[in-house]
Amino acid sequence: METILEIKHLNKRFGNKLVLKDLNLTVKKGEVVCIIGPSGSGKSTFLRCLNLLEEPNSGEIIFEGHNLIAKSADLDRLRMKMGMVFQNFNLFNNLNVLNNCIIGQTKVLKRKKTEAIKIALELLKQVGMEAYINETASNLSGGQKQRVAISRALAMNPKIMLFDEPTSALDPEMIGDVLNVMRNLASTGLTLIVVTHEMDFAKEVANTIVFMDQGQILETNNPEVIFNNPKHQRTKTFLKRVIEKK
Amino acid sequence: MLTKIMPQGFIEGIIFLIKEYYPLFLDGIKYTVIISLTGTLLGLLLALIITPIKTATISKRDRIMLIIFKRCGICLATLYVEILRGTPMMVQAVIFYYGLRGMGIDMSINFFGILYIPGIIVSGITIVSVNTSAYIIEVLRGSINAIDKGQMEAARSLGMTKLQALLKIIIPQALRNCIPAIGNEFVINIKDTSVLSVIAVTELFYMTKRINSIYYRQTEGFIIAAIIYLILTFTTTRLLYWISNKLGNRKQLTYPTSQSY
Repeated sequence: METILEIKHLNKRFGNKLVLKDLNLTVKKGEVVCIIGPSGSGKSTFLRCLNLLEEPNSGEIIFEGHNLIAKSADLDRLRMKMGMVFQNFNLFNNLNVLNNCIIGQTKVLKRKKTEAIKIALELLKQVGMEAYINETASNLSGGQKQRVAISRALAMNPKIMLFDEPTSALDPEMIGDVLNVMRNLASTGLTLIVVTHEMDFAKEVANTIVFMDQGQILETNNPEVIFNNPKHQRTKTFLKRVIEKK
Repeated sequence: MLTKIMPQGFIEGIIFLIKEYYPLFLDGIKYTVIISLTGTLLGLLLALIITPIKTATISKRDRIMLIIFKRCGICLATLYVEILRGTPMMVQAVIFYYGLRGMGIDMSINFFGILYIPGIIVSGITIVSVNTSAYIIEVLRGSINAIDKGQMEAARSLGMTKLQALLKIIIPQALRNCIPAIGNEFVINIKDTSVLSVIAVTELFYMTKRINSIYYRQTEGFIIAAIIYLILTFTTTRLLYWISNKLGNRKQLTYPTSQSY
């Protein structure tokens, strides 16, 4: 399969502290990659580097043949092809649900408003939020917000979706709704990169699991190997602890 | 008008002045309200233009020309705010007024003979607008900084430029949060327009001084002026309080007050 995203020797520093150390990863089109690991291991920073919300210090991120880290890269154009879903939803507080899903389409993609509304309504329907189009973000529950945030990102027809712990701020009851939406996305063949603590979801949906610890990628493999026969001792202890906790 | 004699008593004097000279007081009130209201609104408009320049951030990806442009913009905007906030409006007023007069510039505005605004009023509005904008820039900047960083990140992740994100997402939220502070500026301006009397803008304080000079008696007239100012600021504050509530700013603790900086 065709490679869509390639990360080479990525380094990121906060002040003097090296938080990402020489990360390498290749993502194929249609692949679902789950990044797991203990808190503070740099998973979210890594994901945020992928669409340059954090500027890496060195390395290459090659997306559709363009190196995003090069100064000449047209970031705004490349960013709109990478959807991002945040832990804290980050719905636009000054807009209602429908306008949250429209603004990117009309301002960035320059779609006509009627077309944008049609696309937004279709996507909101898929996540079961079509009844809430006139609500503002503050009136929605966490799970509802996250489903709207997913629709907002999908409305841009992204080539890749980045999920930054999308269920970490949710009540246990609502996690299922959001994971179902993500399962459906995975089945449509969209490329997903997901930072998550949901091991069952990772095991079930991912094609590739990336295990990170202390700013390094320790292991990259398919879920069977990672969960049943991890090579690294650190992976073993982490998984043991996480699974015991349940 | 000099035919009538002002009574000796204090209270009688006040009643006499109100009765005989209320059209002049009303004229003063009119200009005080017009200048402070349009001054605040135009000041807000100016602030909305200058704030994005002042809060520009330089990114490693910017081209060299853009970096130079941004740096100059930030410098100029900072200078603008510092000078205007660091000097009294009265001094700004005389420099502006005599400066223009020295250059022989006429500020009066004539809209095809339908609406004529005297030069002195235009000057007054200009001075108040520019002065107020400096304060509103700082209010807006604080308000923008207080908006959750995630809002900007979400906008950028959709591919919006920083300017688009500011105009469509950040500033609308920031503006809503600082309505009480902008209302505060309006109330301050109602009081501070009195300094424009030094350049003979016919606002309330100037009109009062003129009335006082007819009889060489000061206290009665200024007491009337003080009461009028109090009524103006009190009603404005309550009105803004009400608007603020209507807009759902209940959680905001700072309601408009007539407190000066």
